[in-house]
Amino acid sequence: MTAFHLHNKTFLVTGASSGIGRQVAISICEMGGNVVITGRNEERLNETLSMLKSGENKSIQAELLDEQEVQRLVSALPLLDGIVNCAGTVSPYPIKFLSDKKIDEVFNINYKVQVVLTAQATRAKKLNKGASVVFLSSISALHPHRGGALYAGSKAAIEAFSKVVALEFFHLQIRSNCIAPAMVKTPMYDKAEAQGTKEQMDAHISKYPLGAGTPEDVANAAIFLLSDASKWITGTTITLDGGFLLGGL
Amino acid sequence: MDITTFISQIENEIEELTPGSLKPETEFTSLKEWSSMHVLILIALIDTEYNVTITGADLQQCKSVNDLFNVVKSRV
Ligand SMILES: NC(=O)c1ccc[n+]([C@@H]2O[C@H](COP(=O)([O-])OP(=O)(O)OC[C@H]3O[C@@H](n4cnc5c(N)ncnc54)[C@H](OP(=O)(O)O)[C@@H]3O)[C@@H](O)[C@H]2O)c1
Repeated sequence: MTAFHLHNKTFLVTGASSGIGRQVAISICEMGGNVVITGRNEERLNETLSMLKSGENKSIQAELLDEQEVQRLVSALPLLDGIVNCAGTVSPYPIKFLSDKKIDEVFNINYKVQVVLTAQATRAKKLNKGASVVFLSSISALHPHRGGALYAGSKAAIEAFSKVVALEFFHLQIRSNCIAPAMVKTPMYDKAEAQGTKEQMDAHISKYPLGAGTPEDVANAAIFLLSDASKWITGTTITLDGGFLLGGL
Repeated sequence: MDITTFISQIENEIEELTPGSLKPETEFTSLKEWSSMHVLILIALIDTEYNVTITGADLQQCKSVNDLFNVVKSRV
């Protein structure tokens, strides 16, 4: 059997009620793994559950901004071979208008929640030896855009956090890595487009030699990072940008 | 809400505009150096001052300052 399979492994996927998280859950099952999926919207979460064709899977609805709900989620978890942190938000806002409230809106879900979840899951010893943790960063962590102070900042923060996870848990062979995509066609893409105009988004995507990403493109990178095929990779970020950052178009 | 205040708020936030140059009938796209940054500023200004959510698509529908004023007014 190839090192890329996920047989006999179980993963937690956050943000599984939509976009990238939903596809990550589907792809994990296709590669022979099992998932615990979580999200806020129960209806869309169950929809994801019904799209999983194999495996022993379970869904747990949770509002991750509530620390007690994180506790409830963690105590209901089986032993895990990894976590894919896909819950997140984008909210473009120019610096002049930022406030405590705006900072919390973005940083709480994009950073704080993932830190608290990692803390609780590791303290409760829910991660097996050799587990793999994946965080969704973005190309904006290193290549920010106007209006992206909080989003880019939260992604840069999660990349730094991921490296510390790699350093604090290597004795258990637990690995931690980030995936940094450019624009991917999900509901978040539509939300980002609505903040500007379709023409602006199309003009942006025209600079991607391979076009906009799909949730499958991101899920495949996550599968690689979860599988033993990447067992010598930790503390890094994989960029998925369809060639955008080459800057040649 | 009144259009004079609305206009002076916009002029105050968009530094490239000369105070007094914006009129109710001014079309946004006719403004020199109108950019995606100004779209972000208008959306954030209206959210902050009027608690009204405007999308990029809304803004595209609004040709003039007066059009935008009317949309915001209808949603406060
Ligand atoms: N799409 C892109 O272009 C792109 C590019 C770069 C990076 N990313 C990153 O990839 C990740 C996934 O993005 P996506 O495009 O799949 O976004 P999405 O379709 O908007 O999905 C976001 C997910 O996060 C969940 N979530 C948000 N707030 C939550 C909360 N308080 N508690 C629990 N769950 C919460 C949502 O749950 P509910 O829907 O149930 O509320 C949803 O499942 C994000 O971290 C994003 O920053 C996306």
